This record gives sequence, structure tokens and C-alpha cells, in this order.
Amino acid sequence: MSFLTIENIKKSFDNETVLHSLNLSIKEGEFITLLGPSGCGKSTLLRTIAGLIHQDEGKIHIDGKDVTEVKPKDRQVGMVFQSYALFPNMTVQENIEFGLKMKKLDKETVKQNAAKIVELVELTGKEKSYPRELSGGQQQRVALARSLVTRPKVLLLDEPLSALDAQIRKNLQKQLRSIQQELNMTTILVTHDQEEAMAVSDYVYIMNKGQIAQSGTPHEIYTRPVNEFVARFIGNYNVLTREEVSNLFKGEKNFKNKMYAIRPEAFSEDRILDGYEISGKIQKTSMLGNITRFELEANHVSFIADRLHKIDEDAQKQETKTLYLNRKDVIPLS
Amino acid sequence: MILKRMNGMFLISIIPFFILVLLFLFVPLFFMLYSSFQGDGGSGFTFKQYLEIFQNTYYHQAFKNSIIISFFSSLIAIGLAVFATYSITLFSKKIQDRILVFANLTANFAGIPLAFAFIVILGNSGLFTLLFKHFGWDLLNSFNLYSWSGLVLIYIYFQLPLAVMLIYPVYQGIQAQWKESAALLGASPLQFWLRIGGPIILPSIAGTFSILFANAMGAYASAFALTGSTYNLVTIRIGALTTGDIFARPELGSAIATLLGVTLVVALLINEWLTRRIRRDLS
Amino acid sequence: MKKPFYHYITIGIVLLYLLIPLLGTFQYSFATSWHKTILPEGFTIKWYVELFGDLRFLKSLGRSLVMSLGATILTLVIMVPAIFSIVLYAPKLEKMIQSLIVMTYAMPGIILAVGLIRAYSTSGISMVLITIGAYFVGILPYMYQGTRNSLRNINAESLMEAAEILGASRYTAFQKVIVPNIISGILVSSLLSFSILFGEFVLINLLVGGHFETVQIYLFQKLSQSGHIASAIVVCYFLLISILSAIMIKMTRKKKEPV
Repeated sequence: MSFLTIENIKKSFDNETVLHSLNLSIKEGEFITLLGPSGCGKSTLLRTIAGLIHQDEGKIHIDGKDVTEVKPKDRQVGMVFQSYALFPNMTVQENIEFGLKMKKLDKETVKQNAAKIVELVELTGKEKSYPRELSGGQQQRVALARSLVTRPKVLLLDEPLSALDAQIRKNLQKQLRSIQQELNMTTILVTHDQEEAMAVSDYVYIMNKGQIAQSGTPHEIYTRPVNEFVARFIGNYNVLTREEVSNLFKGEKNFKNKMYAIRPEAFSEDRILDGYEISGKIQKTSMLGNITRFELEANHVSFIADRLHKIDEDAQKQETKTLYLNRKDVIPLS
Repeated sequence: MILKRMNGMFLISIIPFFILVLLFLFVPLFFMLYSSFQGDGGSGFTFKQYLEIFQNTYYHQAFKNSIIISFFSSLIAIGLAVFATYSITLFSKKIQDRILVFANLTANFAGIPLAFAFIVILGNSGLFTLLFKHFGWDLLNSFNLYSWSGLVLIYIYFQLPLAVMLIYPVYQGIQAQWKESAALLGASPLQFWLRIGGPIILPSIAGTFSILFANAMGAYASAFALTGSTYNLVTIRIGALTTGDIFARPELGSAIATLLGVTLVVALLINEWLTRRIRRDLS
Repeated sequence: MKKPFYHYITIGIVLLYLLIPLLGTFQYSFATSWHKTILPEGFTIKWYVELFGDLRFLKSLGRSLVMSLGATILTLVIMVPAIFSIVLYAPKLEKMIQSLIVMTYAMPGIILAVGLIRAYSTSGISMVLITIGAYFVGILPYMYQGTRNSLRNINAESLMEAAEILGASRYTAFQKVIVPNIISGILVSSLLSFSILFGEFVLINLLVGGHFETVQIYLFQKLSQSGHIASAIVVCYFLLISILSAIMIKMTRKKKEPV
């Protein structure tokens, strides 16, 4: 039974269609991510769910209720913005209590709920500070606390971590995921960072030009991209045409699709039974931390292959390497 | 530290600047202050001029008139501007630009030409005066351009575009996402303005008000063009006492000018203090 | 997005308030005679012909131009190098300059006028020159703002460093690198200053008085004599500041366009 459903949502601005009849359904407590390049419509979709943008067509249901015509303030959704949008004239405490006060809860309840959430996001001791006195990561947690404290039915996160340093971002991702699981909060995250999407979500929707290009668990998305867009957008796939693939695997003729994708780490130096065998000349090697990346050429086709870094690296430029590949790792794209 | 990086070129570039500032800003201010403590005809050291201002109800009235006209014209201008400028921000960028250009243009339209434009429409035989007379309503019974109500109208005219231009950037500082956040947390637009938008813009509004007030307190040309030296305003008194042919008492004029300066400084300080009280998060 | 009706009303009130006096004056300047009727009895350009045929007016126009232009150029020549030096080489002085600017901005002309009269009226120096000096102080805030913003926009500090590393002296670098890049920004604030000075009445009237007629003083004299000619002057004056504003807008737009 899905908790949030989106049916045939259409939206255009100035004759330019931003969302093409989108459909989406999310189970209660699920963490899903809308992933895509900028301008793909992911933020528009999120804002439509919040009611900040009114769709041209289509329906939205939350918890069995049709909220299509419900105002943002009555939708019971929480939202965290990229810029945090903390109210600068209020302390951390006042920011967090704002939503509770709007619900006209009694003072004691407001205090207790706020205190609980402050503890949850680890901001104890900062209650009296003003937003500008906090670091970016702390401000982010205030924004999160402010939207969680009212216990919304759905939590919407609009690139909430993209303004932070890599290290803080990683920590907050973990914290975000654990808070979400603790509260069993139905959550939709919008991001353009595929690593972030993979790290936190139960389910990922990849969006392109106002449409969903592919959806699935992070594992499915990563290992089985269905089209060229997804293959190029996710990681460092070798995306090759039919001609290139048949050149690469000398003589193989049974490639029917137009495009194919191969993960760089799928290449192996150990012989694989019933696999492909390629001998490629090394053009360039680069160190990427724990992996070494080779740019190779075989039969006039360039491709990249990754291998876990070895201490006694021996590969030389122009050296020929023999690599093996499982047949199922040559992924046909539509 | 500063000296270390100075060279000849540096000094040549800044010395003329400071000489001019000294000659045309500090020297005159000093002389004004100095002569405000002199007796009539420039003799001795005395508080006589200040005592006279404090005792003479005529000068009390001048300050009272100036303050009342400045206060009301600033208040009305800022009241109008707060709402109109907000309305402006809702229109397209192109329309916003056009209105701002027009405001900028009319902000330069002050002094004598402005006073005259008002004479043309509201003077004894002004357009509107005639128009209303035609419809059987004698405007002059209830309104007189050459009195304080007329001056307030004229002052509003040059305060209004200034207020719009000063308040416009204040609204630009209100992030759309604050409104959206507040809405998602259950606040109505009114609640947003009462609890968030209002408190955030209030210090800037107060600051704008004090700029307008100071601007009006120091205004001279419009009132002079309209009423000559007859209407009792601080600036008119200063002008008459300093350059008048028969009744010139420049020492007294200097003392009033000094007090006017003090009034403006006090107004600005009060504003700063208030701002700090209102926005604890800024201090 | 639909806007509630009252937004049109608020803007309408402001625009009408600002527009009506202008329109009234405009009509009056073209009216043959307009005393007892609601609309003018006829239209004519004779007031303009008369105005531009008056040698006194043309002379006052010349004086206004010389005074405003002179003061603006003086400020330009003296202030731009000074602000440049201070911003780049003595940032500690900048705080002081800023308080100075706030002071000149908040200070009414009448106070400056009183002080200048007390200081210089018996010194034998021509009060016309003193007025130009006062104008220098009066337009400081606008010129400072323009210069400061232009220097910031072009990132003057790095430009100077780059030029000096490439072997230019400070003076050459300023002249060949900085000036050409800030000139358009400074020109805009110069035009603004010019149009402010062109409408200046307080200082010139109090310091010099009626025997040195600028346009503003001429207008003041005409107020009591001929309303129609006075309207014609006001219309011409408004036209002039409109043209100056149009030039300023064009220049700022051009600057903003992506290269």
C-alpha cells in the first residue's frame, strides 16, 4: 500500500514543459531520492508535492487523502531547503518551536517536543544561538529539526547538503539516514550527487528532462542502467556504440542494441570462463585513491578499466594488458 | 604600518583631497560652532545665543514646526512606500525597473521647481483649486498650500521616491524560501509578516525613517520658494538670520544651525539604539 | 501569478502623486492663459520662445553649467586618485573616510552654508569659488560610492598587482589599467552629481545671492513674475534631468551586459 502517490503530474513554465506526466509511489517510512542533473525537474516535482508550485494536471495523495488542492500549510509536509531558510531573527529554539506554535499547542508540549528534537539532532547547548552564529552543518541540523518537530507525514529535502564540505556532508548523510529510520519518516531527497543518492536511499528515481529515466534500488540502478543517460550519469561507465563493442570483442556479431555500457571495475586480470578476452594498450594510468584507473585502447576503441590499487604497481605506458570480462557485464542500453 | 606603504605618489594623491575637506567641511563647521558662542557682532564668549533660543517661544515654534512637518511627511511617505514598494516587488523585473527609474527621476525633482509645480496645481489659482471650485467645493477653505499642510504635501513629494528607493533593497533581502518555510510550518501570510518578515525589515524601515526625517529637517529651498521667510521653520530662520539684510544676526543663526545639527545627530543615535533593541540577533 | 487589486492601488497612488504636479506644470507651460477655466484656453509655445530669447536666462544657464561642471570635474580629479590610494594602500583610513561620507550625506546644505559664510565671507575670496568648494563636499557621497563600487567591481587590487608584476610603475598602472576600467562607472556618478548640482539652490542663494544668477535663482526670481515662463523653466529642467538619467541608465546597462 503506497503512502504517497503522484499521478500524471504535468507542469510547464512559459510554454516549456518541466514535468511530463510523472507517476511516483512511495511506501510509508521509505527514503527515496530524486536524482538528476540541474534542470531535470526534480526540484519542481518536490515543490509540487509541497504545494509551493501548483501543477497543471495530475493528482497527489498523501496517506490516502487527496491533497491536490490543499494549501502548503495544511499538507503536513516538512521541507528542508538548500539555503536552510532559517529565520534570522529567531534563535535556534524559536526556529524549532515555530511550527509547533503555529499549531497552537500548549507551552509545555511545545517545550518537550522541541527539547526532544534538539537532542536528536545533537544541538543541545545551542538553543539560544542565532542562526548566523552557527556553522553550516549546525544550521543544516536546525533546519532539519525545524521540519521534523511537527512530525510531518512526508519530509522533503531539497539538496540539503550541497552547500557543505565533503567531510561534514558524509557525516550528515549518515545522521540523516539514522534519524529517518528512527522516526520511520517517509522522506524524499532531491540531489544531483549520485554518491549521496546511493548512500542514503531505499529507492532511487533518476530524472531527465522532466521524466523518470529509471527507478530502482541503488544496487539495481548502479549495476543495471537501462539507458544511455543513466549509464553516463551514474559513475564512470564506458558507454560504447554497437560498432565499438563488436570491434572491442573482435568478431562478436550478436550485438543487437545501439549502445552498451560496461562498468570499469568489471574488467578482470584473471581469466573468466566463457567471457570476453581483450588485449589493450595502456595509454594513461591515474591514481584515484584506492583504485588505479587505466585508459586503454584495443582495436581502435578507447575505454577505461579500474583495478584496486596495488602497492607494487608495475604497469607501464604502451604496455599491453590482457583483460577479461563476463558476458553479462556488457549491458545493453535502450 | 600605514606609513610603511606610503610613498610620494600616495601623499600627492590624498593631500589635495584632505585639504579641500578641511577647508570646506571642517573649517566652516568650526567657525559655525565658534560664532554660536559669540555675542552679536562677534564679540566675546557667551551662551547668550543659546539662552535666547531656549527662552524665545518664536524659536521653539520654529523647531516645533520643523519637527512636526518632518515627522509627518516622513511617516506618510514611509507608510505609503512600505506598501507600494512591496506591491512593486510582485511585478515583473521590467516593470520594477521602470518604476524605480521614475522614482529616481522624481527624487531629483525638488527645491524650487517642486515648490512651483505645487503652486501650479494647488496654489491660489492652481489647477485643482479651480477644478474643485468648479464643482462647488472651495478648496481654499480647508486647505492652504502656503501653510503647514501644503508644506507636508510638498515634503511628501520629495520623500516618497527616496523612501521607495531605500526600501526596495530591503524587500530584496526577504528570501522567498523564508516565506515558503513558514507556510509549510503552518503560518499564514499575515503570521509570516508579523513574526518573521516584519521583525527582519523593521530596523531598515526605522533607518530609512531617520534618513527621511533628517532630510526633511534640513530642507530649505521648497519652503523658501513657497513662503519666502514668512513660514517659521528652523532652516528658514537660519537663512534669514544669517543673510538677512536688516535683521541679520549670524551668531544666533549659527547657534540655531548648531542645534539643528545636534537634533539630527540625536535622531540618528536614537534610531541606532532602537534598531539594536529590536533586533537582538544583530548585536 | 495573479495579484490582488490593492497592489495596483498602492502603486497607483504613488505614481499619481509623483506625476500630477509634473503634468500640471507641463500643461501650464503650454497654456496661453489659464485663470478662470478648468482647461487652458489655448496652447502656445510662446513662453518657450520668450524664455530662450531672454539673454538673462541664457547667461544663467551658462553659469549653472560652468558651476556644476566645474565642481564635478574638480571632484573627479581630486577624489578618484585619493579614494583609489586609500582603498588600496591605506585601508585603515577607509573607516574614517566612510564616517566622513556619512557626515556629508546627513548634513543639510543650510548648516554648511552658515559655516562657510562665517568662515569666508569677510576673507575677500570670491564666494563663487567658495560655493564650488562647498559643492565638492556636497557631492562627495555620490562620487565616493561610485568610485568605491567601480574599484571593487574590477577587483582593483589584483589588477594593480598584476600590472606591477609585469613591470608597470604604480602611476602607469593606475593610468593605463585602473582608469580605463573604472571610467564608465565613475562617469555615471559624475552625471548624477552634475544633475544634483544643477538643481542646487540653497548654497548658491545663501553664499552668493541674487547678483550671480544661476538657473535656479533665475527661476526663483521668475516665480513671482510669470508663472508660464517659470513652468517652461521647470519643464526644461525636468527634461534635462530625464536626459541625464537616460544616459546614466544606458551606461549602467552596457556595463552589466556579459562580455
